[in-house]
Amino acid sequence: MLTRTGAPTKEPLSIATNGAPPDAGEVRIAAVEHAFAQLQVLAGLSLRAAPHEVLGIVGPSGCGKSTLLEMIAGLREPDAGTIAIGTAAEPSERLARCAYLPQRDLLLPWYSAIDNAGLALRNRGVGKAEARRQAGQLFQRFGLQGFERSRPSELSGGMRQRVAFLRTLIAGKPVLLLDEPFASLDAITRGEMQAWLAGALATEPRTVVLVTHDVEEALYLSDRVAVLSTRPGRLVSELTPFASRASDRDAAITTPEFGALRAEAMQALREGSR
Amino acid sequence: MRRYLLPAAVLVALVGAWQLATSTGLLANVLNLQDFLVPSPSEIAKTLWEDHSLLADNAWVTLKEILLGFGCALVAGLAFAVGLHLSETLRRAFYPLIVASQTIPIIAVAPILVVWFGFGIGPKLAIIALICFFPITVNTLDGLRSVDPDAVKMMRTLDASRWAILRRVESPTALPYAFSGAKIAVAVAVIGAVFGEWAGSSSGLGYLMQLDNAALNTPRLWASVTVLSAMAILLFALLALLERKVVTWR
Amino acid sequence: MKRTIKLLIAATVLFAALALAACGEKPENLNGQPQPFSLTLDFYPNPDHVGIYEAQKLGYFRDAGLDVTINSPTDPAAPIKEVAAGRSDLAISYEPELLLAREQGLDVKAVGALVDRPLTSLIWLKKSGIKRLGDLRGKTIATAGIPYQNAFLETILARANLKPSDVKTVNVGLNLLPAILGGRAQAMLGGFSNVEGIDLKLRHKDPTVTPVDQLGIPTYDELIFVAQASRLKDDSEPIRLFLAAMARGTAAAEKDPKGATQALLEQNHNLDPKLTAAEVKATLPVLSQASLKRPYGYMNQAEWQQFIGWMRDHGLILSLPTPPQVLTEELLPGSIPG
Repeated sequence: MLTRTGAPTKEPLSIATNGAPPDAGEVRIAAVEHAFAQLQVLAGLSLRAAPHEVLGIVGPSGCGKSTLLEMIAGLREPDAGTIAIGTAAEPSERLARCAYLPQRDLLLPWYSAIDNAGLALRNRGVGKAEARRQAGQLFQRFGLQGFERSRPSELSGGMRQRVAFLRTLIAGKPVLLLDEPFASLDAITRGEMQAWLAGALATEPRTVVLVTHDVEEALYLSDRVAVLSTRPGRLVSELTPFASRASDRDAAITTPEFGALRAEAMQALREGSR
Repeated sequence: MRRYLLPAAVLVALVGAWQLATSTGLLANVLNLQDFLVPSPSEIAKTLWEDHSLLADNAWVTLKEILLGFGCALVAGLAFAVGLHLSETLRRAFYPLIVASQTIPIIAVAPILVVWFGFGIGPKLAIIALICFFPITVNTLDGLRSVDPDAVKMMRTLDASRWAILRRVESPTALPYAFSGAKIAVAVAVIGAVFGEWAGSSSGLGYLMQLDNAALNTPRLWASVTVLSAMAILLFALLALLERKVVTWR
Repeated sequence: MKRTIKLLIAATVLFAALALAACGEKPENLNGQPQPFSLTLDFYPNPDHVGIYEAQKLGYFRDAGLDVTINSPTDPAAPIKEVAAGRSDLAISYEPELLLAREQGLDVKAVGALVDRPLTSLIWLKKSGIKRLGDLRGKTIATAGIPYQNAFLETILARANLKPSDVKTVNVGLNLLPAILGGRAQAMLGGFSNVEGIDLKLRHKDPTVTPVDQLGIPTYDELIFVAQASRLKDDSEPIRLFLAAMARGTAAAEKDPKGATQALLEQNHNLDPKLTAAEVKATLPVLSQASLKRPYGYMNQAEWQQFIGWMRDHGLILSLPTPPQVLTEELLPGSIPG
């Protein structure tokens, strides 16, 4: 399968992982509840993402989507219910298995793009030259060559998100948690980024939990889409898109079948808003 | 180069006005500030030239005190900031004490320090460090606490240890703040050195100023003040220059 | 451009404000009302000033038609400058300092002596182990940072065949007592025999106190009243009245040391009563007193001449004024107005 970047490769890169077994990336969320002060945010939510599957989560704002990602990563504990990634149930173990891509790229302004991308390696004790070498390979593969030494302030929004995504990839974690990663980009860039991400995941498959408010984005990128209701968030409906990450994005999202799927998702959203 | 033109012009204008006021007798006759109270800039310049080796020798003594004292303040100030940042308990326990340390009147403390440490450079370093560590600590601590919590969360998911977070996220965030504190500190360090010398010394510009004050040698007194001001400005400018070299992302 | 103008205006306003604040006021002469008169002490109120405070308390200044305001400086070098600039009617200063001021061209003259002998002393404690001047070799001597006192020290050391390099001198400013009590200095020059000398005695430190005129320096008047020389031509009457009241006040203090001590304590609440009483006792004998032969505030011109010569010989002053150029006795009580 040709990736969007035009580089025909099938084997994944040898990215130094942190020792987690490659199939440990199954995410299971069972009957999770959570409240902030008196506000119930999540009410009895159960979800599952199989290894190397992209699970999209859509829902109105405030329905606890970002909180859910923090809980999967072990950065926050739910009031009730269990979360597990593969065999790991402890928060610190889950943290070790996740890489988090927040809405803001959070690139550190004092590092160059390539040093930002290699942060996970540096944190593990890998030397600067070696980290740059490994990150450099990804820069080549994903169309960022030439921007290695740029400071984040010199890059466009789309470029920064790409570097941020590479940063999460290099972390070598089996699970990627993407929190509305393209929300701050304009429509055209957003479309390009979705296509780029589709190509990246084709080369470097991961288990992905993608939170977004953009229904089309979820339907294009995910293998399964969960629609959540407003607060307190519970599962309204689960859809199974059929053209997940098709290589020609523009063609895929303009088919009538895609339109019907979109309508179905919107319907579910409306139901959940009542 | 252009950025220095405006302050230089203001300085020249003020000095020129001052010179005019003294030579036309405006200062002495109208404002009642005779030359033994306020010498003219030309008198001060003359003294700077005639006594330049005496002033230079004493300036070097005071400069050494300032540099070493500021160094101590920097080490202590940064250590306090990091320590109080890493431990909430330490911060709650010591922050009020750190603020209280600034209410100690230096004039009263200086002689006591001399009794403890003798007449060498020790008391001067202690006084400078006492005055100067405070802006460094407060500013750096503010900087450390201004770190984006989301960035920290993100780093944790990238396998960052507490040390890695401190080193790669918190310290660079705090660096501009630390420089702010350091610039304030270096300007005040000059005053600390003079107070330290007034409590017990055999050399230095503070020592010279005291002698000249008692001997009614007003021009050289003001010449010493001029040299001290120049030192403060120079050190401040050096820090600002260093900041531009180090903090490259702002 | 706009910013430049704003900066210049701000600088000018600041300059003007400072200047206005420094403007001096000339005292008004009100008929029938006591005339305002300002006296600046040499330092904070201390036993040297008992005569002044007795005169104030017993109303002698008021009797003379003067409403006297007494100011203390924090910097002992300031009072003579205030008088020269016309900001104070009278100041208490020191004979050596007056001579230095005259050298600098300041418009000042001595009008009377408050203390007509040296109080500045070389002091060491028993614990320093010093028994004679020669024992000062290698020791640390604390000084007050006054150049003419450093010249005193050179003369004193020369008497014991010591050079300045044979001892360590440290300038401690006003912190003479902590330096010697803390043991950092073994001797000090600059304390007064009637103040620091008594203080150390009462602390049971067994001090050896030697005024400098016993160590080779010619005698001089430690404390003198100084006035602006140019006003003495036309406006000397208030000063004459002041000195007359001072004579009365000092005589009253002699007769009633306890009352005088009390008057002083009321002015300076930081003073310890017991110590102050002892210091007043040691001070009364050295205060200038009127006698059959000499008026209050008498200044011995021959002695002045000799001290001026000593100052010149030691490079403290370059010129050699005659006593009538630096002092006047015309305002002392009982003298005939010239």
